Amino acid sequence: MKSISLYTQNGSFLTKLEPFDKLFYVLASVAAPSIAGQLPAYFLPIGISLVLLIHSRLFKKALPMTVVGLSLILTVWIVQGIFSQKNETPLFHLGPVTFYQEGCLIAARIGLNILNMFFSFACFVFSTRPSDLVEDMERVGFSPKLGYVVNSVFQMVPQMTGAVGTITDAQRSRGLETEGNLLTRAKAFLPLISPVVMSALINTRERAIALEVRGFDAGLQKTFLREKTKKASSFWIRLFCAALLAGAVVWRGLTWK
Amino acid sequence: MEIKVTKLKYRYPQSKTLALNDISFEIHPGEFIGVIGENGSGKSTLCQALVGLVPHFYRGAYGGKVLITNSSNQTIEVAKVPVSKTCTSVGLVFQNPFNQLTGAKETVFEEVAYGLQNFGISKEEIFRRVEEALRLLDIEAYRDRNPFDLSGGQMQRVAIASILAMHPDIIVLDEPTSQLDPQGSEEVFAAVDRLTKTGIIVIMVEHKMEKIAKYSDRVMLLHQGRLIDFDTPEKIFSRDDLEQYGVTEPAFTQLCKKLGKTLPNGLYPVTLEAAGGLLTYGEGGLAESEAKETALKPQYAEVLKAEHLTFHYTEGVPILKDVNLTLDGRTTAIIGQNGAGKTTLVKLFKGLLKPVEGKIFFQGEDISKHTVASLASKVGFVFQNPNDQIFKTSVLDEVMFGPLNIGMRQQEAKEKALEALELVKLSDYAQENPYDMGLSQRKLVAIASILAMNPQVLILDEPTIAQDYKGKEIIQSIIRKLRAEGKTVITIIHDMDFVEECFERTIVFAKGSVLADGPTREVFAEKEILRKAYLEQPHMTQLCQALGSRRIYLTPQEAAEGFGQ
Repeated sequence: MKSISLYTQNGSFLTKLEPFDKLFYVLASVAAPSIAGQLPAYFLPIGISLVLLIHSRLFKKALPMTVVGLSLILTVWIVQGIFSQKNETPLFHLGPVTFYQEGCLIAARIGLNILNMFFSFACFVFSTRPSDLVEDMERVGFSPKLGYVVNSVFQMVPQMTGAVGTITDAQRSRGLETEGNLLTRAKAFLPLISPVVMSALINTRERAIALEVRGFDAGLQKTFLREKTKKASSFWIRLFCAALLAGAVVWRGLTWK
Repeated sequence: MEIKVTKLKYRYPQSKTLALNDISFEIHPGEFIGVIGENGSGKSTLCQALVGLVPHFYRGAYGGKVLITNSSNQTIEVAKVPVSKTCTSVGLVFQNPFNQLTGAKETVFEEVAYGLQNFGISKEEIFRRVEEALRLLDIEAYRDRNPFDLSGGQMQRVAIASILAMHPDIIVLDEPTSQLDPQGSEEVFAAVDRLTKTGIIVIMVEHKMEKIAKYSDRVMLLHQGRLIDFDTPEKIFSRDDLEQYGVTEPAFTQLCKKLGKTLPNGLYPVTLEAAGGLLTYGEGGLAESEAKETALKPQYAEVLKAEHLTFHYTEGVPILKDVNLTLDGRTTAIIGQNGAGKTTLVKLFKGLLKPVEGKIFFQGEDISKHTVASLASKVGFVFQNPNDQIFKTSVLDEVMFGPLNIGMRQQEAKEKALEALELVKLSDYAQENPYDMGLSQRKLVAIASILAMNPQVLILDEPTIAQDYKGKEIIQSIIRKLRAEGKTVITIIHDMDFVEECFERTIVFAKGSVLADGPTREVFAEKEILRKAYLEQPHMTQLCQALGSRRIYLTPQEAAEGFGQ
């Protein structure tokens, strides 16, 4: 079954860290530059995230999305650089088109924000098993029901894709053409989608029973399978995140006008 | 441990008839209880009442009492405590393994551990019990696999392991072995039977009468929500009115009934051993009348042919290895262990999958030149799960869908559909909504929907799952009719007795290749090959061999005649 989770188990540095520590890092690295309010402040978290991604052999996985991000930023730059309302100071000319300094600065801020968020999220998403995160959330008191929903989404999407495959086969066996022009495909829609929906409804009821008989609602203190030991790395990561935020506040104070 | 049910009555919401009607019984520690009855007799409802899902989950009208005493001598009334409390003492395994998985766990190991986590059992204990359950069900090899990637039979093993790991005092199993290969289902019966030695109560709903007879201490016979009889297997199966309740005796009992052989106490034997002890072959015992061998082997025309067929889903994990096979007009059963590649093979025949190497011919023509839809009118394939195809709101429309797709006119399609419904004995249900029908009937609707397309070849994937005695009879009569019309019927199946009843040729499949192929009688004589393929001989064959008969009899009827009734 093809998982929709982006998690890669490669035993690297990032995958070994605690999910919450990585979440703290995401928060700190996104918040810090905004607090500091200076453009150069973005380069530090972006740099750290990039080093982490490359070191944990995850950069390749982030590359396709990076390209998408960069093309988005390019669009923002063109639009803001030429048309922003704040534009006053011409920066350079490209043929008949003039780019202005104010717009380019706005575009740079948006672009750096996007890149920063994207890279730090990548550090988290590519290296964290969703069910580990859910388990940690349940440990600190989130509802197990919420946990179940999150986990089941990761299972159900590929499961449904599988079901659609079987149903397509079953209907093709009854002479339904599923390939061809738009009309043929439109006609095939109902016979393909109805069994998916109906089966899902039937399954939901039975699955509710299955959970019930496995003590889902028992209301007892749940046992977690993963050992939870306080890691030294946790302390240092959280300290670093706090330092990042504190540094940002200080920087903001120093440059206050 | 004890179960005490008094005057239990229950009616589902929006239903007019009682699903359980005035049922009373007691079950004692260490008992293995078999529950039999036709579909709709209330077996599953009774199972759910024992765990408290009836009435807590289904609501409806409820009367009477279900009292459960667990191993710590606590007595609970299931209607008065939540299911989450009852399920600490009573475990329920139900029929469809797919819906029994939590759908939130990524590996078999975590899936089996899930219930234990909810009960807050210590981590060490969880690891110990999960290991034990995996070993018991022989699924250790799949521990890190995603449960949804497993075949139906393997999933069923995971479902059973998940409940056994919770160490319930009472285990209720509702047709837990429907999708398992014969050896696998024997292992499950033997495993839960061992548990009764420690005082655990096992309640098992099954259509496999030989297993019920072999393992049960007492058998419950249900009919239309009533408890008709609750007694030892010998007494239950010696009744002469079983047919009216839609159940049949074990094959051994059938033979003894035909021969009029009873035990000293006047009852009929129900197990292989008991029947074997009663019937002696040779001097003073049963004499074998001269065998009437069928004369000249008729010649059959080739219908489907596979040449050097090789297939895999992922490179390096072969599913089929260089399979060469010619199928003809004979009814053919393909049997083999769960995951042997049987379904993959028939999907290739149907053109749903493309061979990695090799070719498939239909009546001499390479099928790779045709689309699946254009093959549909020639090769019909009934999927295992009817829910994968049903989408219309009336049975008639559903059955007409295929015929209309292959270009029949409205009138003709309707005629064909009605004919097909007549064959599956569902003519009265033509205007019903298929979703209001039970699984066994929906399966018959799916069969009818393919029959109506009038294909030259009909492939059935596990047609007898969820069918009771009557349902199996219907399917048998369809197979015989098609055979007489010169159509080819191929099936994938785990029910060996059904194979012997109506298939002329049997192909044993193991690990992606053909292990044995020949007339059913000859294949079933090969005890060793069957064992290797995780199969077993049909019950009558087992008995004949135990008696030292020279001939292999496949059905009780045949054996009775052969033994010179």
